[in-house]
Amino acid sequence: MVRALNRKLAREICRSKGLLLAITSIIAVGVMCYVAMQSAYLNLSAAKTRYYRMCRMADFWVDVKKVPLAELEALGRIRGVAEYQPRITFPATVDLENVPEPLNGQVISLPDRREPTLNDILLRQGGYFTDRRENEVIVNDAFARARNIYPGQWIHLLLNDRRQELFVVGTAISSEFTYLLGPGTLVPDPETYGVFYVKRTFAEDVFDFDGAANQVVGRLSPELAGESNDTLRSAETLLEPYGVFSVTPLRLQASNQFLSNEIEGLGAIAAVVPTIFLAVAAVVLNVLITRLARQQRVVIGTLKALGYTNGQVFAHFLKFGLSVGVAGGVLGALLGYTASAGMTQVYQHFFQFPDLRSQLHWNTFALGMAVSLVCAIAGSLHGAWSMLQLQPAEAMRPEPPARGGAILLERLTLVWKLFSSGWRLALRSVFRHRVRSAAAVFAAMMGAALLVTGFMMVQSQDYFLDFQFYRTMRSDIDLVLKGSQGREALDEVRQLPGVDHAEPQLMVAGTFEHGPFRRKEAIIGLLPDARLTIPHDAEGRRIPLPRSGLVLSRRMAEILHVRPGDQVSFTPVQEERRTLEATVAQIADSYMGLTIYADIHYLSRLMGEEFAVSGVQLQTDPRPDVLRRLNHELKQLPGVEAISDRQRLVENLTKTLLQNQFVFIGVLVIFAGVIFFGSVVNSSMVNLAERQREVATFRALGYSKWSIGAMFLRESLLTNMTGAVLGLPIGYGLMWLTATAYANDLVRLPVIATPAIWGWALGWAVVFALLAHAVVQWRINTMNYLEALKVKE
Amino acid sequence: MTDEFAAASAAKNGQPLLRMDGVGRTFQMGEVAVVVLTNITLDIRRGEFLALVGPSGSGKTTILNLIGGMDRPSVGSVLYKGRNLADASDRELTRYRREEVGFVFQFYNLVPNLTARENILVSTEIASAPRDADEVLRLVGLEDRAEHFPAQLSGGEQQRVSIARAVAKNPELLLCDEPTGALDFKTGKRVLRLLVDLNRQLGKTVVVITHNAALAEVADRVVHLRSGEISSMEENQNPVAPEEVVW
Ligand SMILES: Nc1ncnc2c1ncn2[C@@H]1O[C@H](COP(=O)(O)OP(=O)(O)OP(=O)(O)O)[C@@H](O)[C@H]1O
Ligand SMILES: [Mg+2]
Repeated sequence: MVRALNRKLAREICRSKGLLLAITSIIAVGVMCYVAMQSAYLNLSAAKTRYYRMCRMADFWVDVKKVPLAELEALGRIRGVAEYQPRITFPATVDLENVPEPLNGQVISLPDRREPTLNDILLRQGGYFTDRRENEVIVNDAFARARNIYPGQWIHLLLNDRRQELFVVGTAISSEFTYLLGPGTLVPDPETYGVFYVKRTFAEDVFDFDGAANQVVGRLSPELAGESNDTLRSAETLLEPYGVFSVTPLRLQASNQFLSNEIEGLGAIAAVVPTIFLAVAAVVLNVLITRLARQQRVVIGTLKALGYTNGQVFAHFLKFGLSVGVAGGVLGALLGYTASAGMTQVYQHFFQFPDLRSQLHWNTFALGMAVSLVCAIAGSLHGAWSMLQLQPAEAMRPEPPARGGAILLERLTLVWKLFSSGWRLALRSVFRHRVRSAAAVFAAMMGAALLVTGFMMVQSQDYFLDFQFYRTMRSDIDLVLKGSQGREALDEVRQLPGVDHAEPQLMVAGTFEHGPFRRKEAIIGLLPDARLTIPHDAEGRRIPLPRSGLVLSRRMAEILHVRPGDQVSFTPVQEERRTLEATVAQIADSYMGLTIYADIHYLSRLMGEEFAVSGVQLQTDPRPDVLRRLNHELKQLPGVEAISDRQRLVENLTKTLLQNQFVFIGVLVIFAGVIFFGSVVNSSMVNLAERQREVATFRALGYSKWSIGAMFLRESLLTNMTGAVLGLPIGYGLMWLTATAYANDLVRLPVIATPAIWGWALGWAVVFALLAHAVVQWRINTMNYLEALKVKE
Repeated sequence: MTDEFAAASAAKNGQPLLRMDGVGRTFQMGEVAVVVLTNITLDIRRGEFLALVGPSGSGKTTILNLIGGMDRPSVGSVLYKGRNLADASDRELTRYRREEVGFVFQFYNLVPNLTARENILVSTEIASAPRDADEVLRLVGLEDRAEHFPAQLSGGEQQRVSIARAVAKNPELLLCDEPTGALDFKTGKRVLRLLVDLNRQLGKTVVVITHNAALAEVADRVVHLRSGEISSMEENQNPVAPEEVVW
């Protein structure tokens, strides 16, 4: 109906397209984050649910030394246990012909004939076991693809000290290993770690486990899920005589924990980050529309005088905001969908799913769009509202001049004198336009907070890597021996070619108790002067091993509620299960696992032996040919259960983290840039528009373009830097919240703030403010002063 | 004309089109109250051509705003066809402005981002029985400036667009705040002729503000304003034709 007004709108949109583009990008980034994260979240959680259902994912895992199958029947009678299944599972060393180094894996038994199983596999290539051979194997798909293993091939595994030849019948995936990790790492490396499913009869044979199992997986009755703790406790008590290493509910199962953390994290980010952007956009839009409405005060009065209703006039301004909202929403949704496809692809790389697809989630689109519109409406509403309250007669009179009195700061004469006249002018202007300044401060705060959180995240990862892998655990190769052995085992390893240095370890798993608090965990015995594993505290100080007593990681100490000097009782998972008392000597910091250290001599004595070894850490000769010989020897070494190539693990971890960091920082800086840039351009342009006459007058008085530009730069630096500084603690807080929310028994992120982080964040804030100012300066340089003096607003 | 106003007019036939009764207007400026109009009582008859004259600052525009439903009196009543605008709601005032009144603003108030024709369309698009935009542009002699923006027009041309915009609505009551202030002798007369024709031929009621006494000779009645009060009022037995006005 009001076509003429629409034409006015179109022209105004055209005229301020640069500004609108800046605001549109802020909205677009917000919507994009929301759509991308939320879609990825939905894709991932849907894939997880489907996958878990398809594989009949277990609700709990119990690892025991050895339990006769007959004894398990009682397990099925425990209240809350719906179903259980025994398995035989052992670590294995994989000897591939064309691969010099020994690789690691896990062997898991499956029924000889296909039948419904918990933690079932989904075949990808080939088929299930046949009746033709005993020694058939199904290899997990990622390892098979990474190592070019196909059905029909033979591979060799070192099982229970014997080199076994196995015929590959198929490759498969399982929800149990959606995120498949070898021991001691955080990112999957399919080339070095595989899962090998063998027939149950074959496993019984090879491991001497006739009619026995060492792992039970089970499902809980859904109606009794609330009492799962009691159920698992009963299961543990029942199996205690057979040596329970661990009872793991699904919640704490490594693969599930990583996957669920990722999903929850996505959900959280999908809520927080877009909120930041859309809040900034609403505030910035509000400043723009307020200015527009003020400037058009007379037009508003005239339209009302002509008989336009408040609603019609408001709709006109609303359309201005809505055009931004719609453009931002559509752009954001499209970018978000693209980004979610990209993210889903990255996830496909880390998580093994049968059907992780990037799907269109219309409701996510719709919500993103709706939120962007609401933000645009909210921004416009406030901006145009006050002008609409005026009677037309009032609106058509020029606005009374803004209060021009002294600002508060001027009363602090001493401080005020410190500023040059240029800065005084800027300060006055900043304090007189409170809403606009507050908006700029708010935007800068959010931008800086985003940068700080991001930089801290990266710093945290770097610190984590350095602390865990370069300072605490420094070995090149770790060997896990079968059971505990004597000193000769260590001596034998020391003889191997290329071993520069070897240190023994003794791992004793058991149950810790302190009052009502208990936890199953292993103690690691080390030489007091060990060089390859060095407990540290967060300040980087080495923690000496006491002659007696334990060094607990902080997380473990928190779980058990103990402090140095306290006594804890420890019941090893050993034949006779004596309960021992030990003193907590010191607390060490650790960001991975729940490690507990002790002097190996002390620990051996506790176990009633003179000196026992269950693992050896090696420092090796880096020369390739020497290393090749060592690897060759290691493959044949009897009494070794697992070999892990720490060097490769650390390299892979570092590479993966650094790669992601690169993308992460890039995206982050761009995002923060959008906020800083958009906000600075907006407030400076609005400022410039309001002061066109003033600027023109200054020009007429003989001021240079640059000194006029400097007036505006001072103002935007004042608000921007204030905001950025205020944003620093917010960023720290966000990081702290993230670290706390993400912390679990497997991994924790250290919260590290270095001056460099504050420096970088502020530095980028300045860079973006200057970039945005370049646009403003260009506007000043190209402004037509005669027109500015003539135009009557 | 809306049914409401039409019904009211039928019922109160013979009454003035608009009656101001004891109207005062005071503006609150911080602590001081500025009294701009006091005790204005004035009838505007249907179909008359009324001139409002007075020195600058005497309250002419303020009265016109009250007549045009753009402002509410502080005291007194403004009855249009028997309805009191003083206690009408914002909605009712909006409808009154839209349906009954055409306003020529003292400072033209064209919308800067719209061309001359679009500035007229802005008002005709919401009117119930508007005239053709191009036709009224021709009436004010601006047919070849239709596509120009206000910034591209002279002050006088802008004023004529403003008049065209008011006329185009085809309103019952035409209120003109110094419609010839920026015009030269020749165009001034032409505009005056247009207003007189609207009044005489189409029976529209016209109120014109001017501080040019000569111009008032065209009117049926002249109201003199001084310091917010009506100082005198005179009937013009023989209104002169615009062409005969000596500027
Ligand atoms: N909203 C307002 N607030 C304060 N004072 C006002 C307001 N509107 C009008 N006035 C004052 O009322 C007085 C009359 O104003 P008005 O515009 O009616 O004068 P005028 O007769 O139209 O003068 P001119 O011929 O100069 O246009 C002036 O002194 C003016 O300053
Ligand atoms: Mg006036």
